[in-house]
Amino acid sequence: MSIYQVQKCLYDYLRAREHAPKGEQPDIATVAAQGYDLDDEERKAVEGLDLGTLYAMGTHPVIINGLARNMGYRKADYRPLLAGSMPPERKVKPRWLKS
Amino acid sequence: MAEIVTAYCASHAPMQAVDPESAPKEQADKFFAGLEHVRNQAERARPQAVVMLSGEHFTSYFLDALPQLGVGLAEKYQTPSARWLRMEHSVLPGEQKLGEHIVAGLVERNLWPALSYEMEPDHGFLTVYDQLDPTWQLPLVPMVLNCTTPPLITLRQSYEFGIAMGDVLRSYQGLERVAFVGGGGLCHFVGEPRIGDIDEDFERWFLEELGKPDCGELLDVPNDELMEAGNGTGEVRAWVALAGAMRGHEMKLLSYEAIYEWIIGMAVVTWTP
Repeated sequence: MSIYQVQKCLYDYLRAREHAPKGEQPDIATVAAQGYDLDDEERKAVEGLDLGTLYAMGTHPVIINGLARNMGYRKADYRPLLAGSMPPERKVKPRWLKS
Repeated sequence: MAEIVTAYCASHAPMQAVDPESAPKEQADKFFAGLEHVRNQAERARPQAVVMLSGEHFTSYFLDALPQLGVGLAEKYQTPSARWLRMEHSVLPGEQKLGEHIVAGLVERNLWPALSYEMEPDHGFLTVYDQLDPTWQLPLVPMVLNCTTPPLITLRQSYEFGIAMGDVLRSYQGLERVAFVGGGGLCHFVGEPRIGDIDEDFERWFLEELGKPDCGELLDVPNDELMEAGNGTGEVRAWVALAGAMRGHEMKLLSYEAIYEWIIGMAVVTWTP
């Protein structure tokens, strides 16, 4: 299943919450119910705002970061939620590394 | 014809606006001193508009239609992000005619930006703009670069784009004095397990190369190598573009601090007009 529908749902959720007046911000279940083509695993991860699973699925990091901020995480304190996934492998040795 | 009377780049971090005191005071003071320097510089130079370049964070564009480059053409911009950034203002003045000139000029030079009459400047713009003009009266042309979703333009292409931007801005006859500003970077990781890491070796090397003629070795760095410094580090494309626009002008590093509390290496550089 393409990750795009997951990302679209999460993006729409973030936008709706940013634009809604305080106290009227929709929850994820309300947004996710609006016709996105998600399989069971994706729906579970989306509705649970499961950052670790969403990251492992390939959700865009800008969306992951936006979700974390919206959930109240600041700076790097959501790092433990992604600890179950390996960071992308180093493909090249950068020329600026001293060691 | 317009003159670029102020040109600089500054890192942007939401925390610098939301919770500036979360950073060690000495580091934050040095970074903000750099911003104060360019603000004073701009006050003396009296730009009539500012063109600002920043990475796209899925605020104005999303994956349904994501351009490599977008130009704002609105007469004013709503900024929902200003609320959570705890800023006093929420509406930015635009400079529509300058924006239209930029789009037309880039097309003439074989660069084909998207255009938007409803762009939404986010923290990438607001954290830098608010330090430049806390009264929010200086008209803005926002320009966004795709810095996160491959395929991405290379640093060499960013530099060539910057050269074109310099030509376009200096060919504008509607204003006499324009500021050109790049925001973003330096090194950061977002939405992935290395969030919070900062590659200080990269940052020091980048700032040194940026100040060399034609950016030294920077323009030879391919995208996969640049990504090793962080998936958010691609925003330095804006810095390289400014270097292109100000080719031949001296660059000065005003401040650099790796502020881990803000998860980003924070720097300010300026070019002598």
